[in-house]
Amino acid sequence: MPTAVLMSDFDLPTRSASGFLLRYIAPKVEPVQLYSFLARRLPFQLSAPQSDIIIGAGHGSQTSFTGQNETVILEVGRYNPREVRGKVIKLLSCQTGVVLGPDLIKNGAEAFLGYVDDYVWVTDADLASTPWADDLAGACLLPVIDGLNTLLDGKTAEESLDVELQGYLKNAAAEEDDLIKSCLEFNHDNAVLLGNTTARVRRRPNITIPLPPPPIFLPIS
Amino acid sequence: MPNSEWEKVREALRKPATPEAMQEAAQAFAQYNKVSLGKGNSRPTLVNLGKGTGYPNAVPVDKIPEELATNPQFYNLMKKIVAREKS
Repeated sequence: MPTAVLMSDFDLPTRSASGFLLRYIAPKVEPVQLYSFLARRLPFQLSAPQSDIIIGAGHGSQTSFTGQNETVILEVGRYNPREVRGKVIKLLSCQTGVVLGPDLIKNGAEAFLGYVDDYVWVTDADLASTPWADDLAGACLLPVIDGLNTLLDGKTAEESLDVELQGYLKNAAAEEDDLIKSCLEFNHDNAVLLGNTTARVRRRPNITIPLPPPPIFLPIS
Repeated sequence: MPNSEWEKVREALRKPATPEAMQEAAQAFAQYNKVSLGKGNSRPTLVNLGKGTGYPNAVPVDKIPEELATNPQFYNLMKKIVAREKS
């Protein structure tokens, strides 16, 4: 059963976040992968109903989640419940856990994982063409990846969130820089799970891709 | 354990977003940055995935003092992140 992975890629934060999904999640799931200019509403509308899990990285607010160039993908009151019914949804985005997340659950989503405030991290702008090699960003983003892989390995949404939270705490304890440590603690405090905490998706085959993708040469703003 | 420069940043950010407090936080952050993330060849940048927030989605760490001194919304974001206080 396919997974819809939305990876907007048009500025530094989306490049960094989507870069980690591209490196560590995309090879593990069946397409549909909506990367860059494909991270838009119409491709999402076509692919989401067939997916059992929706994973998205993009800018967001309390009421909306956006894709490429901040085009709206999901907005309260402006999507078809069929797009989300029965699905586990993870949005790496700001504040979507406040209003949009509860709305998705109200409209039939099985579980929602997101954040009730901004998602913040420190990234190295010099690594924009190979964002997955960015150790500064990895401190925050690898716990997200570990949580997602837990979910894709057949564990529950609650176990997935727990892996992510433990990752933040572990990295914060080892982090020497106070700004990065503060970001880790902030993201830890704002991560939420709504809906069915025992929701799970069918286990994906364990595929290891030893080589990272080639550098990304698409321009970012 | 946080270094003393960072404690000064945290203390400064505990104040409400007045021009004086923003200036103080900016100076404190500039001092912190000289001893921490400012080192090396990388370009560390604080990023977020917010939309319509009133502050930039990407602020190079060496520009954070300028943004702190001039942008109350960014000051309040840093207040939440660093001082762990809701604005």
